Amino acid sequence: MRRLLRALIYGLTTAIGLLAFVYPVVMAGPATADGAINTPLLLAVVVGLSFVALLLEVQGDAANAKFVALLGILTAMNAALRFAEVAIPGPGGFSPIFFLIIVTGYAYGGRFGFLLGALTLLVSALITGGVGPWLPYQMLTAGWVGLSSPLLHPLARGLRVEGRWPEIALLALFGLGWGLLYGALMNLSSWTFLTGMGVKVTTLRETLRQYGIFYVTTSLLWDLARGLGNVALMLAFGAPTLRALRRFHKRFSFTYQPQAV
Amino acid sequence: MLHAVAWFVWLVAALIVVSTTRNPLYLTLALAAFLTTARAIRQPNEPSAAPLAPGRFALYVIPLAALINALLSRVGETVLLAIPAAWPLIGGPITAEALVYGALNGLLLTALFAAFTVLNLAVPVRDLIRFIPRAFYPVAVVASIAVTFAPTTLRQMQQIREAQAIRGHRMRRLRDWLPLFMPLLTGGLERALQLAEAMASHGFASETATAHTGRAQAACHERSRMVSILGLLGILSGGLLTAWRQTFWGMALIVTGGAAIWGALWLTGRSVPHTTYRRAPWGYREWLVTGGALVAVAGFLFLGQATRTYNPYPALTWPAFDTFTGTALLGFLLPALVVGGHDD
Repeated sequence: MRRLLRALIYGLTTAIGLLAFVYPVVMAGPATADGAINTPLLLAVVVGLSFVALLLEVQGDAANAKFVALLGILTAMNAALRFAEVAIPGPGGFSPIFFLIIVTGYAYGGRFGFLLGALTLLVSALITGGVGPWLPYQMLTAGWVGLSSPLLHPLARGLRVEGRWPEIALLALFGLGWGLLYGALMNLSSWTFLTGMGVKVTTLRETLRQYGIFYVTTSLLWDLARGLGNVALMLAFGAPTLRALRRFHKRFSFTYQPQAV
Repeated sequence: MLHAVAWFVWLVAALIVVSTTRNPLYLTLALAAFLTTARAIRQPNEPSAAPLAPGRFALYVIPLAALINALLSRVGETVLLAIPAAWPLIGGPITAEALVYGALNGLLLTALFAAFTVLNLAVPVRDLIRFIPRAFYPVAVVASIAVTFAPTTLRQMQQIREAQAIRGHRMRRLRDWLPLFMPLLTGGLERALQLAEAMASHGFASETATAHTGRAQAACHERSRMVSILGLLGILSGGLLTAWRQTFWGMALIVTGGAAIWGALWLTGRSVPHTTYRRAPWGYREWLVTGGALVAVAGFLFLGQATRTYNPYPALTWPAFDTFTGTALLGFLLPALVVGGHDD
C-alpha cells in the first residue's frame, strides 16, 4: 500500500512535469493570446508545487542520523565541486556535479539521489550567492537526475553487466542523455521569459520553429558540452567511485538497538 | 545587520516593480538603485563569492535577448536588415523595434538578477536556511550540515592537491585527477560516518524515539501524503482541462490542488516541534527599509499607471517619464542609507 502511494506520487509529479514541459510548445498560442493566462507564472507555480509534494515525500527517509550525515557530507562535496566550477569555468555548460548525483543515485537509491541533486543545487546557490527564481527549476531537474538513475538497474541486470565495465558505459550514456535533457528542461524555465510574453504565436509549427531558434542560439552547444563532460567524468572516475560507494554502503547499513529500560 | 524579513519585504517590492514595467527609464533607475544598495552593503574585506556580477550578466543577457527577439518577432516599421526568406529558421526582416523590445527583456532580467544579488549579499546563509519551511526540517538539517562542511571540503581538496604535488604527481590528463578525487571521496565518507556517530550519541533521531511521538508523526505523515496525492491529481487534471480549452474549470482545479499541497505542507510542519533560541531584533532601521520599499511599490503602482507601460511597436518612440513615479523608486535606496558596512 505504501509503495503504491509512493509510486503514485512519483508518477503524478513526473506527469505534471512532462505536461509543463510540452505545454509552452503545444499551447503557447491560444493560452497567451489576449492575456487569458499568464503562462510562465502559472508554469512556475505548478512546477514549484509538484516539487514541494515530491520533496515532502522523499525527505521522509532522511530520518536517521546516518542517512542525514552521509547526505550532508556528500552534498557539501558536490557543492564544493560546483564552487570549483564557478571559479574555473569549464567549456560551455560543463558541470562536474551530475557525475556524483548519477553514481550515488545508482548506488544508494533514487530517493538519496533525488535529495543529493536537489540539495546540491540549493547549497551551492546558498554559498555562492545564486539564489533566484531559477532555483526551484534547477533543484527539481537535478533531483530528477538522481531519482531516475536506479532505473538503470534492471537494464544492467538484464544485460548481466553488473560490476563490469559495460555498466560504466551504461552510466556514461545515461549521463550524456541527462546532459542534453537538463538543458532542454532548463530552457522551459527561461524560454517564455527571455522571448518576452508578448510574442503572439499562432500555430504549432510556428511555435516549434521558435523553440528551434531558441534552442540553437542559446543551449545546444552548452548542452553538448555538459553531456560529453558527464561521459568523460564517468569513464575516468565511474568505476572506482562506484566501488567506494558500495564498500561504504555496507559500513553504513548497520543499526544499533539499545535495550529499552 | 538588518532583520531578514525586512530584506524579504524589500525584495518582493522590488520584484513587483520590475515585473510590472517595461519602460526603460524606470527599469534603468530601479537597476541603479539596486546596484547602489548592493555596493553599500558589501563588506569591504569580504571576498566576493558571487559567481556573476550583475554587470557581466547584463553584458551576456541583453544582447542575447535582443538577438532572440529580433529573430522571433518580425513586426516593426524600421527594417535594419532583410535576410532572404528562403533561409531556414532565420529568414525574414530584422527590425529595430524587435531588437529594442528584446533588449528591454534583457534589461528586465538584469534588474531581477540585481535584486536577488542584493538579497544574497545582505542575508547571511544561516538566516536563509531558517527560511526553509518547517515541514522541510530534514532538508534544513542536511543543508546546514552541508553549508558547514563545504569550506572544510575545499580545504581538504587543497591539502590533497599539495600532498600529491609533493609526491611529484602531475595533472596532465583527466585520469590524473583520480588520485585527487578518490581520497577526497573516501575521506568525506569516513567523516560522514564519524558525524553520524556523533549525532546519534547526542540523541539525534535515534531509532528508539519515544513510541508515542513516533506513531503520531507516522499518522501525520500518512495524512499529509494522502492530501498531497489529491492535490497532485487536481493539478494534473486541471492542467489537462486547460489544455482542452476548459480554462475556467482547469484553473479552478489547479488552484484547489495547489491549496491541497499547501495544506500537506502545513500538516507536516505542524508535527515538527519548533523553538526560537534568539529572536532577531526589529528596530527603527527595519521599519525604515520596509517602509521605503512599500512606499516605492505603492507610489509606482498608483502614480505610474500612465507611464509604466512602454511598447516599441510599431515604430520606436521615446518612453514617457513621470517625475513623481521616478522619485518613488528612490525608496529602494533606504537600505543603503541605514545599513553602514562598518557599524556591526
